[in-house]
Amino acid sequence: MKPCFSVILLFGTTLFLLFQGCTARRTDSASIRVRWAHDPETIDPLQLTNQMALDAASLLHLSLMQIDLSTGEFAAALVEGPPTTRLLGDSLMQLSYRLRPGAQWDGGLPVLASDVAFTLRLMFCPGLPNETPRLRFNFIRRLIPDPADPRHFKLECRGQSPEYVQASGDFFILSEAALDPQHSLRRFSLADLQARPVSATPDTALEAVGRRYRNMPPDQLPGCGPYRLAAWEKDRYLTFRRKPRWWADRLRAAPFVLRARPVQLDFLIIPDATTASLALQRGELDVFPQVPAREFARLRTLPAAKAALAFYSRASYDVVTVAFNTRRPALADALTRRALSRCFDAAGLLQATQLGEGQRSVGIISPTDRRYYNDSLAPVPFDPAGAAALLHQAGWQRAADQSRGWFRPGPHGEREALQLRVRYRANESMFATIALQFQAAAAGLGIAVALQPTESGVLSETLRQGDFDLCIRTLKGNPFMFNFMPLLHSHAVGAGNITGFGTPASDRLLEAMEAANLPVHKAVLLRRFQAMMQTEAPMIPLFFLPTRIAADRRLRGLHVSGLKPGYTAAGIERLPTASVP
Amino acid sequence: MVRTALAVLVLASGLFLLSRADTDTALRLALPNAPDYGGRASASLAQEAAAQTALRQRLGLHLPLFYIGRGVGPASHAVRWQWHGTANQYHLWAGRLLHGDLGTSFRTGAAVAPRLRAALAITLPLTGTAAVLAVVLAFALAQRLAARPRWHAAVRAALAAVQAMPLFMVSLLLLLVFANPEVLAWFPAYGLAQLTATGAAAVGQYLARLVLPIAALTLTALPELTLQLEAALARELRTDYATTARAKGLAESAIIRHHALRNALLPTLTQLVELLPALVAGAVVVEVVFALPGTGRLLAEASAARDYPVLLGGVLLVGAVRSFALLLADLLYFWADPRIRWQP
Amino acid sequence: MATLTRLWLRWPRGLALGWLAVVVLVAALAPYLPLPYAPAVPDLACVAQPPLGPGAHWLGTNPQGQDVLSNLVFGARTAVVLTVPAAVLAALLGAVLGGAAGFWGNAGRVPAAGGLLAGGAAWWALGGPAAGWALAVAAVGAVGCVAAARGHVRGLPTWPVPLDAVVVSTAAAVDTVPRLVLVVALAAVAQVSLPGLLLVLVLTSWPHPARLVRAQMLQVRALPFVEAARAAGLPAGRVWLRHALPHAVQPLRTALPLSIAGLLALESTLSFLGIGLPPDTASWGRLLASAREAPSAWWVFLFPGACLALTVLSLSALASQNHAPTRKA
Repeated sequence: MKPCFSVILLFGTTLFLLFQGCTARRTDSASIRVRWAHDPETIDPLQLTNQMALDAASLLHLSLMQIDLSTGEFAAALVEGPPTTRLLGDSLMQLSYRLRPGAQWDGGLPVLASDVAFTLRLMFCPGLPNETPRLRFNFIRRLIPDPADPRHFKLECRGQSPEYVQASGDFFILSEAALDPQHSLRRFSLADLQARPVSATPDTALEAVGRRYRNMPPDQLPGCGPYRLAAWEKDRYLTFRRKPRWWADRLRAAPFVLRARPVQLDFLIIPDATTASLALQRGELDVFPQVPAREFARLRTLPAAKAALAFYSRASYDVVTVAFNTRRPALADALTRRALSRCFDAAGLLQATQLGEGQRSVGIISPTDRRYYNDSLAPVPFDPAGAAALLHQAGWQRAADQSRGWFRPGPHGEREALQLRVRYRANESMFATIALQFQAAAAGLGIAVALQPTESGVLSETLRQGDFDLCIRTLKGNPFMFNFMPLLHSHAVGAGNITGFGTPASDRLLEAMEAANLPVHKAVLLRRFQAMMQTEAPMIPLFFLPTRIAADRRLRGLHVSGLKPGYTAAGIERLPTASVP
Repeated sequence: MVRTALAVLVLASGLFLLSRADTDTALRLALPNAPDYGGRASASLAQEAAAQTALRQRLGLHLPLFYIGRGVGPASHAVRWQWHGTANQYHLWAGRLLHGDLGTSFRTGAAVAPRLRAALAITLPLTGTAAVLAVVLAFALAQRLAARPRWHAAVRAALAAVQAMPLFMVSLLLLLVFANPEVLAWFPAYGLAQLTATGAAAVGQYLARLVLPIAALTLTALPELTLQLEAALARELRTDYATTARAKGLAESAIIRHHALRNALLPTLTQLVELLPALVAGAVVVEVVFALPGTGRLLAEASAARDYPVLLGGVLLVGAVRSFALLLADLLYFWADPRIRWQP
Repeated sequence: MATLTRLWLRWPRGLALGWLAVVVLVAALAPYLPLPYAPAVPDLACVAQPPLGPGAHWLGTNPQGQDVLSNLVFGARTAVVLTVPAAVLAALLGAVLGGAAGFWGNAGRVPAAGGLLAGGAAWWALGGPAAGWALAVAAVGAVGCVAAARGHVRGLPTWPVPLDAVVVSTAAAVDTVPRLVLVVALAAVAQVSLPGLLLVLVLTSWPHPARLVRAQMLQVRALPFVEAARAAGLPAGRVWLRHALPHAVQPLRTALPLSIAGLLALESTLSFLGIGLPPDTASWGRLLASAREAPSAWWVFLFPGACLALTVLSLSALASQNHAPTRKA
């Protein structure tokens, strides 16, 4: 039967080729292969929308100051040292930087203050996707170059917050010679560009620069970082190759942030965690960051995986929180919010979703931060009876037939009903578990809860519009900056303050915290802040997440830390098998 | 075929108009949503509003939606219909479409057409191979079944059982059995990340990655084709000319192959017409389960992320495939049945 | 031998009917069954537990901690509540549209007065320009309708309505894109909830029954009894509704179980992809989707998968048994 024969032949060839492919076991590849959960979409330094894009951009470009994961502090990268601060009057601050003498672009041209000025101007150039840097760096008023030294410059900031010191160095520097050889952007001052209205007549020079920037392919955007983008297959992989002659190699005592060991870095995009774990076990992957809790625990029990892999777990600064929309009449008073906070079984959820790793907290400041964590407060317990008592205290009464829910008379005489809608990002099983547990506990009390998993794109918009009652989300933090004004200040309502919370007392406390210089003073204020948060409860912290990384045992130099991304890609080196204990 | 093309355009236009009613999500997509409380200076509301307006202009969302629309009149304050002329989003979109420009994605800002092309390069081998394999296997199996061997009832029952399982169940089953480290980790299940591109090994890896998805698609398409063809063949084998052939001494398999098959094909052709668009739809599920970056997953992700240009591009593409399938079916009918050729 | 043949024919059908009866019964009695756990409540202490483990989880729990047994029971309820009405409504809509298209073809006519009335009223309601003139046109149409109803004036103009072309084109348009793609695309545009999902399913499923009924109606309207009814002077609408349509919906008897099976598969696929129903609604597809998170939890795949496969198989068996048996011994 001819058709059957050809089919058999086809199958036979397929099987033969399959064997070739399947027998690839632990390959000693020269490159370090890291797993990413999804494509970075764009690695434009002006438009970094997710952590992966940030990681990619930090391999290709350098900023003035960068986070050093080995110490957990900001360290000088392109500049020689931390800036010197000078306060002018009571509203301005000057930060003085000096770029390293050896810093150069690939062609040999040095990195100068004019490049920094160009980058700042580019952030406010119309027609570019630079909406985020506009918001972040609006506090920089101008760059004052030094006529005597082209590498020395001063940044003048509007405001005197100590947070600006670290924020001012945290942007990637782009090359003026490559993007604007005619220096057409120099005609415009930074203040002009910042104040330029959207409806202004388009300027040909600005448009030309914008067009040139937008049309430049991502692998050709010049950067002074240690790697160049060798290949990028959307949704498949990105390959970075080390530049053979990088300027920082010639530095005698290169700081940690200017060291780059791997010759080639491959980031494989594997959305499914289970398949990524399988690839790790087979040796097709070297580093697997953000391992889910169960997969991590399972891998640790497998003997083959235990022998070949090393497992790291650190406390991170990401906290899972539940935010209340205090603009809703039902949630406007603190007693109701405190009552609802007792319906979350944080300890049980921590055990179920993170298998006990991670930490409970009294506020949104990590318990590992001994200086600022308020250990005299106790975390909110899971106490439905206490919640019912608090609801009674807040004036809620249960309806005559128990199934109708809780009611109370409103300020204008109408009847308020306690019916809640919970929003959270879809496709996250941790948020789904938390929401379901809250729904079950609330149903035990007789409160009707509706769950609304929302796609990430729609979620931020609905949060800003206030179209929610509770919102479960993860707040990403860091140990440097404790400026909670974008999160809880009444001026930020409609922007970052989705809870709508803001009393004069809390506003004063937040402003004082932003202005505080001395650590002692700051500690006192932060303790008061955590106590206030627990009393007012505009958002409840559930627990801090751990960061888990599983990697090939032979890799060194990962410097796993709680800070994002959790490991230093540029510091990894692979030891030969013989020398591994 | 013209009617199908027109229908596709109308459908796409409808989706376009419906989607633009939701422009705020597009704005939110282009601005990052990671709430970072540390280290960001508080941006004033005015700055945020300015950023939003700039974004709206950049994405072209400030123009009116259609040729006519409701709006507040300049003189009166009553809501009335207004003629917006050609400076509206629909006209721009339609014009760009005729030039082959499918717009730019809201999510990435990159052009939609190259993204679709890259995704098609993954999906076409997948669905094409599955279609060819399904047809070949269906033909072979139906011919063997029509001869009523002993295992006829068992195979028919197995096919009915497979037909009862939705595609996602079959894919999940294959994934959990053949790509599960705890059961049989024969096949890698992750998406295509070929880095060791060395000849036979690369081809082998590529094939290994595609085996499970192709198997899932083929297994779901096979039962219906086979059972239909087998029923048609059984019907043909009871006709007079088949009895004559049997009386002449031909073997059963020869009768099936040379005489009955051609006549039994006609009703199956309708099934074949449905096959290609069904595989394109099935690719949505298979690509999500096996994490292949093809058009199906692109569609599902665009739907979840409200990335309307990509979504519309995908729908248009699927409609084009449907038109192509109908054309192919017409040609096949023409070739298969001489009676149609001779009809006036 | 004849008895054996009869039993052989009845046996799969009996099994299928029995299983479907079990599903429908379970779905109807779901809120009253003494299940130890509610379907959406996660048991935080017993996550991803095998069957017959501690904690009275007889069929185990899924990686979210939800009890598999109660999810199966309430998933059956969701399936029955969603797919059966959707199939019936789609069949109704398809029967009406297909029947009308088949009966009148492109030769239907509508009195011009009625058209004027409807058009004028709509224009005025939507607030189009020159709304006052539209109101006048509507008034003229109303007068004409009243006159025609009273029978005072004969020979009023009528407008042709190409019903057949419209219905066939719309059906073709809806059928152009595969149903899954269409629903996925629509889910992006609209927030889908249970009634919304029902509407979307009905709107994408009516072309098939419409085509079947139209094809049958084309045959039925040529039959002598229809001609006799028209010759007897019965109004066309009555002939269509009381005489022709009951015969034209015959093909739907076999199409309905298949349509329910198809909708069930579609609903499970949508739940699997995470589109459509809210997350606290139990569904077999959602349970199967959670199997991806814990590949070693075979019980999360086996039980809902078996239920789904058996139900679709039973429905297909029902549909095929309605055909004249072609089995040979």
